[in-house]
Amino acid sequence: MAERVILCIGTKKGLFIAESGPKRTRFELRGPFGDGVPVYSALVDTRAKKPRIYASSCNPWFGNKIYRSTDLGHTFKETKSAPAFPEGDGRTLQNIWAMVPGRGKKELLAGVEPASLFRSMDGGDSWEMMPGISNHEHARDWHPGYGGLCMHTIVLDGDHIHLGISTGGHYVSEDGGTTFKASNKGVGAGFVPDPYPEFGQCVHKIARHPAAPDRLYMQNHGGWEDRPGVGVLRSDDDGKSWYSIADGLPSDFGFPIVVHPDDPDTVYVVPLETVTRTCPGGQPAVWRSTNGGRKWKKLTKGFPKKDAYYTVLRDALDFDDLKAPALYMGTTNGKVWIGRDGGDQWDCLFDDLPTVYCVKSTVVTV
Amino acid sequence: MPVSVQLPSALRPYVGGADSVELDVADVRSALQGLAGVNAQLYRSICDETGAVRRHLNLFVNDAHIRDLAGVETQLKNGDTLIILTAVSGG
Repeated sequence: MAERVILCIGTKKGLFIAESGPKRTRFELRGPFGDGVPVYSALVDTRAKKPRIYASSCNPWFGNKIYRSTDLGHTFKETKSAPAFPEGDGRTLQNIWAMVPGRGKKELLAGVEPASLFRSMDGGDSWEMMPGISNHEHARDWHPGYGGLCMHTIVLDGDHIHLGISTGGHYVSEDGGTTFKASNKGVGAGFVPDPYPEFGQCVHKIARHPAAPDRLYMQNHGGWEDRPGVGVLRSDDDGKSWYSIADGLPSDFGFPIVVHPDDPDTVYVVPLETVTRTCPGGQPAVWRSTNGGRKWKKLTKGFPKKDAYYTVLRDALDFDDLKAPALYMGTTNGKVWIGRDGGDQWDCLFDDLPTVYCVKSTVVTV
Repeated sequence: MPVSVQLPSALRPYVGGADSVELDVADVRSALQGLAGVNAQLYRSICDETGAVRRHLNLFVNDAHIRDLAGVETQLKNGDTLIILTAVSGG
């Protein structure tokens, strides 16, 4: 039996799979899979004996599809259906932003645009809408940001489900997804008169570590001159209240936020210049805190020193789960970077892919 | 009445690779619903959850776009061809 690192790279022109041994010295790339259309979400589901890879396909001509692979991403086949709103609902599926394993061995959850949650119990062949959030009393008051009205984050802990919606805010279920309530105390917004509304915030990403289940980190839409300190947040009470941990960062605007797999105190963000949403000063950097956001360190070794202006999107930063985990970062200018030694050293794995929307890494044993 | 529905290449795998489907229908709406009976994924690729034809697809009856006729209510007669084409779009 051997460990293999599987890297799913969702791009503007389809899904790529990169595979490596555990030393991660050389990644072999295959693809693109799909219809040459954007892939915003991917998942390697390792719960079954035989891992399954799922990828969404946002096809502007023929609608959204889900593709599934049972051979570690050598071939993909369309599932029998994609999430679809019920007859008479009036909404139509625009994109699939998140796919995560649900409870038990079979449940698969998908967060979609317009913001709604779907569940599959048969490997993505059939889907049912979960009305507790999809038909929430707030749902018709949510509104799309530039990227659309998307449910992009699903964080699970048994019956406890946290959702991130842009722009809808943070919602929590404590009953396995039957009911949800908005939980945004301290989550600010710079684009509505009330700086701290009950809901409607432009949450960009939420992260959590299983060893610290009551602690959550959030990359919210920051960068507001008149309302500072709303961009990078932390909660110590399971998302009931939030406070800023942005002191020391060059910007509190960004998209992804991830937690180190081995340490709930170690968190990473990619601050971006607020207006252009690119690397501040043309100098790419990932920022790391090893004490839960009290202090931040700039990680630049291996990145260009100047003239680099790109964006790292919300699902384009991820860790693998090897003994010494590595970070992977995809960029809108089509590069995929590996961050070794906790992000102290960065190397470019792929230079010239299409715009990267998501990077998801998993280790499988074959 | 028998009409032929011509499919773009990307949708042919849903019907075993065939480039067209023969249906006995009287209008475009019935033809689209008939495709649902042939293959649900084929239909969903052409129409969204509300039944509307997807925005970047163009439907022609023979050589006339259905928007210049009566839309999905356009009547079909024996021997007509309903042609489904992808719009020029992308980037």
